Amino acid sequence: MPASRWANASSGTVRSEKPADPSPGDSGRAARGLPAYVLRVPTGTYRALNPLTKFVIALSSALVAFGVRGWTGPLSVLVVTAAIALIAGVSRSLRRFVLATIPIVASILLVNAFLYPGATDVLFRVGPLAATGTGGTVALQATLRVLAFALSVAVFSLTTATDDFLADLECRGTGRRLTFVVGSAIRTIPAMGSRAVEIVEAQRARGLDTEGSIRRRLRGIVPLAGPMVFGSLAEVEERTVALEARAFSAPVRRTVMRTLPDGSGQRAMRWLVGLGSIAAVVASIAGRFPLP
Amino acid sequence: MAWLSRQFSTRVIVLIPIAIAINIVLGYTVQTILKLPIYLDSIGTILVGVLAGPIAGALTGILSNLIWQYAPVIGGGTIGPFAITAGVIGFLAGIWGQLAVYRSRPASGTQLILAAIAAAVIVVVVVIPILNNPAYTDPNIGGYPSWVYTAAIVIAAIVAVIVAGFIYIRRDLAGLWVAVAGVVTGIVAAFVSAPISAIAFGGVTGSGTDLLVAALRQGGSDVMSASLGQGLFSDPIDKTITSFVVFIVLGGLSGRLLARFPLGERLLGNRAV
Repeated sequence: MPASRWANASSGTVRSEKPADPSPGDSGRAARGLPAYVLRVPTGTYRALNPLTKFVIALSSALVAFGVRGWTGPLSVLVVTAAIALIAGVSRSLRRFVLATIPIVASILLVNAFLYPGATDVLFRVGPLAATGTGGTVALQATLRVLAFALSVAVFSLTTATDDFLADLECRGTGRRLTFVVGSAIRTIPAMGSRAVEIVEAQRARGLDTEGSIRRRLRGIVPLAGPMVFGSLAEVEERTVALEARAFSAPVRRTVMRTLPDGSGQRAMRWLVGLGSIAAVVASIAGRFPLP
Repeated sequence: MAWLSRQFSTRVIVLIPIAIAINIVLGYTVQTILKLPIYLDSIGTILVGVLAGPIAGALTGILSNLIWQYAPVIGGGTIGPFAITAGVIGFLAGIWGQLAVYRSRPASGTQLILAAIAAAVIVVVVVIPILNNPAYTDPNIGGYPSWVYTAAIVIAAIVAVIVAGFIYIRRDLAGLWVAVAGVVTGIVAAFVSAPISAIAFGGVTGSGTDLLVAALRQGGSDVMSASLGQGLFSDPIDKTITSFVVFIVLGGLSGRLLARFPLGERLLGNRAV
């Protein structure tokens, strides 16, 4: 019977008699006989944390940076995130993310320092505009908030592999649908990006002007968006059939081969950080946050 | 529960990641490569909402912005907190889908002309209360600098003419409802976005629309109403364009494909499959 032959073949590769290269220290997992590339567990002080822990830390940082008003929220997130980046050894790669905030930071500083409504404490004047102390304070706080948020995002995405995060979520029972949606979206974006570049180049070769005045660029939208949207929607049917043929809507849980280390310490930390940040934001909104 | 699970058939689960990728890639291309002063980052969200329902649409919007922000490759600057707005847009699109707003309604003769005129009137009627809002005209509270006022009227007139022309040329009453859906979505999006922008980013977003915020601030608006003023200016235009793009995309897809989505039958009506 062909079906059983397939079953044997697949179980043969996964559960081979000889455990495939159990590196020392890979104790419990090697027993299952999974090959090393499936088992690859991130190493390093911060990277080795469970992906969910890192995600809770990133979300809590964003919440505190935006939700706790004044200086304390953004500054504490900035300090904590910078410390994490140093420990994780990603501080060098952060530069790119900091540079990406320049347009909004410039906008925040200019608009708020010079055009803060109702502020009268003039610091200096440039032509008809006056920079005010109140506006400058608000601008600095907003800048710190944006920086703290950008760094928290950067640290998460630099230390966490998407596949690890999704595998861990599926272990916790989020279901294959959400996992598929997020994983598939992340994989589709670069593919569609390169398709967009191909389309733009193909249309340019036919004489479409994608640079120049606004009117010309506006006329460039339709020949770009049309083939991209219709081309990718045409794939929906094929993918649906392919997934259904692989028992995507079967009413049973899929076995997740990769499990990432987690512990009661980390679980406690997640609750502590998550609830702590919510409490801090609530206290700040209620006006009972003790620090400036 | 059945209402919820019907929105997430396998076909919808396949559509959502593609819609998210369309949102991100098209939004990025339009804002960064073509450098146009609109967003166009909710076409996928509205598409899923119209085809599948409110919850599927909201999920698409929220995930789009979160993935745009947190995915290692793309890394959007300030898009993450606006996931709330995107979710609301997707939810509204689901309601439009259940009301069959995007169903094609062929018509001719006087009916068509009346619909075209009605659409133009609606655009103008929607714009007037926004412009007459005391927050923008009362000099004690704030007020648009005069050029913003003129620009808004010119844009409203252009939009009214385009919408009316679209209905007349395509001989389709649906254009009226599509325009209404776009404008309403835009106004709601503006009201949801303004506090996010004010609380998280000091009222600006780091894009071309900040000039408008600056102009409103100089006119004396406070942080929130300057952001709201900018949103009420950009969002209805952006969402009306998006709404028409989605309508054109739906018209270009085969009925056979559309009918298989949860709200496909409402969308198609009596159209031959």
